[in-house]
Amino acid sequence: MNTARDEILQALRNNRPTPENHPLPPVRTLGDLDASRERFIASLKILGGDVLEPVGDETLDQAIMRRHPDAKVICSNVPEAKGTLPVEKVKTPQDAAAIDVTVVRAPFGIAEMGSIFLSESQLPINSFAHLGQHIVVVLSPDSIMANMHTAYQERPEFRSANYGVLMSGPSATADIQGVLIRGAQGVRSLSVWFA
Amino acid sequence: MSNKPVNHAKAAEHFLEDAPHLQFHDERLWDMRQKRDAQMHILPEWQELREEASRIKEHTLSRLPEYLEQFEENAKKNGIHVHWARDGAEHNRIVGEILKAHNARNLIKSKSMVTEECDMRPYLAKQGVTVTETDLGERIQQLDDQLPSHIVVPAVHKLTSDVAKIFAKDYHTDPNIRDPHLLAEAQRQAARPVILHADAGMTGGNFVVAETGTFVVCTNEGNADLSATVPNLHIATIGIERLVPRMADLGVFIRLLSRSALGSPITQYTTHFRGPQKGGEMHVVLVDNGRSARLGMEDFWTSLKCIRCGACMNTCPVYRRSGGLSYGAVYSGPIGAIIDPTFNERKYSTLPYASTLNGSCTNVCPVKINIHEQLYKWRRVLVQHHEMPFVKREIMHMAGKLMGQPKLYRAAIKATEVSLSTMPRFVLYNWLNPWGKHRENPHPVKQTFNDWYRKNREKAEPAAAPETKK
Repeated sequence: MNTARDEILQALRNNRPTPENHPLPPVRTLGDLDASRERFIASLKILGGDVLEPVGDETLDQAIMRRHPDAKVICSNVPEAKGTLPVEKVKTPQDAAAIDVTVVRAPFGIAEMGSIFLSESQLPINSFAHLGQHIVVVLSPDSIMANMHTAYQERPEFRSANYGVLMSGPSATADIQGVLIRGAQGVRSLSVWFA
Repeated sequence: MSNKPVNHAKAAEHFLEDAPHLQFHDERLWDMRQKRDAQMHILPEWQELREEASRIKEHTLSRLPEYLEQFEENAKKNGIHVHWARDGAEHNRIVGEILKAHNARNLIKSKSMVTEECDMRPYLAKQGVTVTETDLGERIQQLDDQLPSHIVVPAVHKLTSDVAKIFAKDYHTDPNIRDPHLLAEAQRQAARPVILHADAGMTGGNFVVAETGTFVVCTNEGNADLSATVPNLHIATIGIERLVPRMADLGVFIRLLSRSALGSPITQYTTHFRGPQKGGEMHVVLVDNGRSARLGMEDFWTSLKCIRCGACMNTCPVYRRSGGLSYGAVYSGPIGAIIDPTFNERKYSTLPYASTLNGSCTNVCPVKINIHEQLYKWRRVLVQHHEMPFVKREIMHMAGKLMGQPKLYRAAIKATEVSLSTMPRFVLYNWLNPWGKHRENPHPVKQTFNDWYRKNREKAEPAAAPETKK
């Protein structure tokens, strides 16, 4: 008996349009190639994200407390911030639910969209990026890609990570009467700290 | 399932009766269309992107078996279990077996049109599995026991007051809430414990990359990432047409998808799954369900290029004024009207008529599907296959006879003019004249064009000759 796999593939072989009429177009890089921090910030704000700027000689921990004064549990996976909960305590995916502010480093951002990339290499556990109430992302201004074309062509993480998410601002929904609500089911806010 | 043709016109009539809902629906969708236009105008390369997207998709469809095999090989190498399902029933059985093997009773899922196609929820319910939709719009539709009315914004036909009523029943919130923020927060609070205690998570897939064995999920609420990262078992249901050859191709499609759909530059989350998380298990179910047959339909195979952005629905004057539910199908709007008949020609025989053929759908389609031409071609196919309502068929039959014989036609036109000005309304507006249902018949004219021409031009023919003769 034929398996589903064989039957589907055979039907596709029988039914497909002539392959010679549809050659693969070469990879192209289109659009604005500005990879500046300014463009990244403008895009980030369109998608509801924000920049966390230090006031005076504020540390990252102090800036987070200023931005999120009610936060009780701050869990940092970067050396730039200490937080209040050691990241080693987050062992199961569910453990991340108790966090108010999560702090991570993104290996790169994308200026066109204001997106930051996170994978299992930056997260103690994948749910870490989503179950906390707010996220603060440390990003080097030198690691901003211009647009989606250059990002997909050049960043090795897309080929190596098992889980790789581009977050462009916080979670959002407009499912009820078209009203845009920032902070749907994932993080309620996303702030970028350049370092 | 009933095989009776969907009465789209009647359902639309019902939709039109409710002014507040109609007005919001129309304006909301048009607003999405305008936001899409604004994004398009920012990018000088927009038309090039559409052309690239169309060519990449057509290429991929012409080599789909090879790319599917390549995807399978790479995905397996990365530890993903790959399954193949010929139809909805096979898909549901596979998902049911995976869940049973893990003794999973609680499944959380993000939006997936393919699972709607497969009618999966009732099947799993019978197996004792509780399925919870985590996307806000999809959850509203699940609680209200309705199909999604739009492929991107499933509850777009509802007002805040409708949602408040539904949530009051199931989430015990105040039925008089009129602030969408409070209702969205209620959804977040209700979903959290379900997510934290779920045994398995399910997502769809917007794109599948053959060269890396990756599948990509584009969402806004964060619910897909929660569904995929909190439980240790992740099942993704994906249509076999979702392939692209290369990682670099995603650049083209991600740039087009959300701009076309909502007019936002990108979805808040664009997630790339290439293998299971630490200690987890990942399954991909590749679903055919009529797609391989559609690939063989010369006039309709390019509908498989669709990336499910919904732009054709937002721009369609018929969709905006009839609502997604009036199509009586999983897929509504112009794209639904050209793919639904491939699932059931008789049942969806009325849908290709739910269009003015204005071509706006084709103009906004990010992968350049000739939607309005396919709508027209479907009408031809349906007539050839005799899937045409009796009155419409008879009228067309008579019109064909009339127009084929000039003398008879002219006599009929005159008779019509006389009857339009003399007959009582009940003779002119009845079931034999569906055109006159929501429209006034045209005003009778005193003189037909033919009469006017005979009187004024026929004898003076030389005067109508080109000016250059002078």
